[in-house]
Amino acid sequence: MEILMAWRNIWRNPRRTILTVFAIAFACVLLIFMLSLQAGTYEVMIDAAVKTRTGHLQVIAEGYNENRKIRKVVADPDGIAAILDQAPHVTGYTFRANGFALLSSEHRTYGGMITGIDPIRESLVSTVPATIRQGRFLGPGDENAAIVGNLLAKNLKIGIGDELVVLGSARDGSIAASVLRVKGIFSSGMDEYDRAGIQIPLSHFQEIFAMGQAVHEVVAMCDSLWTVSRAKAAIRERLPEFSGKHRLACLSWDELTPGLVQSIQMDLGGGLIFYGILLVMVAFSIMNTFLMAVFERTQEFGTLMAIGANPGRLTKMLVYESGFLTLCGIILGAGIGCLLTLWAQHTGIPMGEAEGMLRQYGIPSLIRPSLSLVTATAGPVLVFLVTMLTAAYPAVRVHRLKPVDAMRAV
Amino acid sequence: MENGKTTTLDIVDVKDVAKTYRQGNLDVHALAGVSLSIARGEFAALAGPSGSGKTTLLNLIGGLDTPTRGQIILDSREITGLSQSKLATLRLNKIGFVFQAYNIIPVLSARENVEYVMLMQGVSARERSDRARAILDDVGLEGMHDRRPAELSGGQQQRVAVARAIVSRPSIVLADEPTANLDSKTGQGLLEMMSQMNQARGVTFIFSTHDQMVMDYARRIIHLKDGRVVDDAVK
Amino acid sequence: MHLHISWRNVWRNPKRTGIILTAIIIGAWTMLVFGGLSRGMMASTLSNALNTLTGHIQVQSPAYRDDPVIENQIDNPAELGKLLDTTLPGDARWAFRIQVGGVASNARNAEGITIVGIDPDREPGLSFYGDSLAQGRHLTPDDGHGIVVGQALVESFETRLGRKLVLMTQDADRETASRAFKIRGIFRADMEATEKQYVFITLDAARKLLGVETAVTGACIKLSRGSSRNPVDLADLDRTVRALSEKLSPGLAVLSWEQLLPLLKGYLAMFDSFMLLWYLVVFLAMAFGLVNTMLMAVLERTREFGLLKALGMKPVWIIRNVLAECVILLAIGLAAGNLLGIGTVLAFGSGIDMSFMAQGSEFFGMGHLVVPFLTARDILAVNAVIMLLGLLVCLYPAVKAGRITPVEAMART
Repeated sequence: MEILMAWRNIWRNPRRTILTVFAIAFACVLLIFMLSLQAGTYEVMIDAAVKTRTGHLQVIAEGYNENRKIRKVVADPDGIAAILDQAPHVTGYTFRANGFALLSSEHRTYGGMITGIDPIRESLVSTVPATIRQGRFLGPGDENAAIVGNLLAKNLKIGIGDELVVLGSARDGSIAASVLRVKGIFSSGMDEYDRAGIQIPLSHFQEIFAMGQAVHEVVAMCDSLWTVSRAKAAIRERLPEFSGKHRLACLSWDELTPGLVQSIQMDLGGGLIFYGILLVMVAFSIMNTFLMAVFERTQEFGTLMAIGANPGRLTKMLVYESGFLTLCGIILGAGIGCLLTLWAQHTGIPMGEAEGMLRQYGIPSLIRPSLSLVTATAGPVLVFLVTMLTAAYPAVRVHRLKPVDAMRAV
Repeated sequence: MENGKTTTLDIVDVKDVAKTYRQGNLDVHALAGVSLSIARGEFAALAGPSGSGKTTLLNLIGGLDTPTRGQIILDSREITGLSQSKLATLRLNKIGFVFQAYNIIPVLSARENVEYVMLMQGVSARERSDRARAILDDVGLEGMHDRRPAELSGGQQQRVAVARAIVSRPSIVLADEPTANLDSKTGQGLLEMMSQMNQARGVTFIFSTHDQMVMDYARRIIHLKDGRVVDDAVK
Repeated sequence: MHLHISWRNVWRNPKRTGIILTAIIIGAWTMLVFGGLSRGMMASTLSNALNTLTGHIQVQSPAYRDDPVIENQIDNPAELGKLLDTTLPGDARWAFRIQVGGVASNARNAEGITIVGIDPDREPGLSFYGDSLAQGRHLTPDDGHGIVVGQALVESFETRLGRKLVLMTQDADRETASRAFKIRGIFRADMEATEKQYVFITLDAARKLLGVETAVTGACIKLSRGSSRNPVDLADLDRTVRALSEKLSPGLAVLSWEQLLPLLKGYLAMFDSFMLLWYLVVFLAMAFGLVNTMLMAVLERTREFGLLKALGMKPVWIIRNVLAECVILLAIGLAAGNLLGIGTVLAFGSGIDMSFMAQGSEFFGMGHLVVPFLTARDILAVNAVIMLLGLLVCLYPAVKAGRITPVEAMART
């Protein structure tokens, strides 16, 4: 009966109820959409960083990530490979070596990051092979071949088939020099890498940079972001066996790109403050509705008390009322919010002027929110808690009513 | 133990009850030492001008308010000093209220209003429904069981209120100026009906009123003035 | 008289009024605080970017921008110098630079860097070079082998003051040129990337390295009206760019920072629209409560309005009365909100240290210290949004009140 009464009570003043429901729904829609948008953006940012550069995990010489010196090597990559083969959740791995060199075309000279890669294994880990815009990716037979970032190619004024002279210093301090032929041009979408990156076969890199069998990074992918820490723990346990001159470390993607993680934390933190304020605003917006539900009906509560209802029963009825209101708002808001988010997920949101800026972080021109169980429920749950907390005040206050005073109130 | 005991015939025993309100800086003595007993089955009226204390007395007997001094014994039980929650239970089971402004729950139909009290008492759904139908028919609301208060006239609403008051089988029904908002014909019909309930079911009624017609129907009239009983006459 | 009545009506239900006022105050407060914080972040990002060699305006060869090599030089800088001296406003500063890509190396490391040849007399005050030296000394004009590098570069090259660093680049004949320099000074910058990116040598040393006689790659101009709060005076900038473009020979391009840093401009524009969006969202959350409260206030006075109408009051007057109540509510809320908001922003006037998020803020190109501030325009925007939109949504309950007829009002209890 209380449920029935509560339901009928909220519709005594339909206009007020609808406005309140809308306010709650508005908060839900906004939270679902914004959280999904943030999640979607982070996924893309992490994905871009992981798939073009870091992988999920790397085994490197300790300190190599902070200071990429050519002498900080992983001396026995095959030994690490053996660990990775047995490590849980690892789906694939590859070896890389990096060096800095002066790259000269016929017309121009620029500094660039040369990465030696395993042409077959690289595609297990990286999306770079899939972003070749012209020409082709490196193959197993290639020796002094290179693929070049599109912005670097433009700066060097080179195209497919052109020659590129490499001049750098090798691991042993001698001069590293080679003449490469451009086989392909990639466009990873990360401007920074496209402006300076070139890839050559690992064996050739080891030859010109006097690396022997050593590499700089053993890059591994896991079956998902969530299993990375487990895989990392398993690998770390066995690393001491292989630490030679340089102690080895196993770092996950978030340790490899602390700037990325911090910027996500900053954005998320800022977002949470926004949402908090929004919730407080909504709470105050709807508090009057709940308060009025008590004040306007003081006499009615007096009657109920007179005929024998104890305060607990009145509280229960008020809680049902605010519960109904909140639920209506949340169901409406969650429905609209999810539909809106799914629609935006389908079509993508163009970023206009900010596009170039976002591309620096590997965010494509269309941002797609990503609706998940978490992003769809976190908002509504928060809204529910906040509105029920708001409603608690009048619901508890009703305890303080004295039947006689209540009856006398008009 | 002679003070605590009352004869079983007395349903209400008011012993030297006073009630003082504070209004601003002034103490208002609404009741200044009232003693009276109401026996089971009475049909009594508290009469007097406004401000004489009749509503206050009714509220005290009904456990809606607590006296500043004195004792009220209801159905052999001292009610002064009971907690709010105990008082609520007492009102639920022992007392029925009828108010001047009807005060029936606007969102519930006539039958639901009546059933709600039984629901709080823990009466089974089936019995609730049977008893509600029967009592609504008895108070003359055949065919109007499912109407909401907004669809009922004042007299009909007051009949719902009476039905609600007696359906819980209380020891006593307290009616505060029940006819004040009704025209005389409707009021008379209502009194007629209550009088029948009193005679047929033995329900005890106490009215507060300054309506002559109510006093005509009442079989005992207690006159109050300035918070004191000035006259108590049984016809 | 009317206002007096409205004022009393507003306080008929103090609790309800208090709640909606709280909502308005929090709304205005947070709008201002976030506005101030955003302004501070934007200014920090912008002044950081301008300080990092961009300046307000650059004059360079048209081809240099896409292909920044010594070949795309300015052949006759003396003539340009004269022109700049005569055309620029008196308080502007400018200097020539040679800026090309290259590689720095020593026995320990080799990295890609940007070689910046500067005029040691004129560069300080134009970019961060002048006031960021942490160790050693600045370059002198006759220092043919001195170099000033960033702290992060020193660390990654495991070197120190007085040690050698070899620079390699492509000279004017497209040959690889290299030359050894001695580290004279070490600078610190807000961002590690800046410390790793730029190395400073003298203009003459750069010319020798690149094999040119008098050439420079560009002139950088800073209009001195910039402050940390407002790094750019847009009107001044526009005027100067136009004046320079008119007088320069067609072989040169005048680029404002907006053209030099289009990404930053886009980012700042996004930030701006984000702020407006935030204002609207907060307002909407508030509007639901405002309309609801006014609606309650109006509907519970149905009888009163009916009576007033019966007495001959025109609907327009009733609408005006209700709107006057809204104005009072909004005005009180705004007054308190402004006080709180501006007070909060002023309280953080010494800046908020973001270094606990150093790498994150570097990601956004922001300095470590964010000083929130508000422009008159921001304060006006917040107040206008709340007041005007607030009145707009209050039209609904007001019109509702105006429509109440005496008959229906009396029928209601």
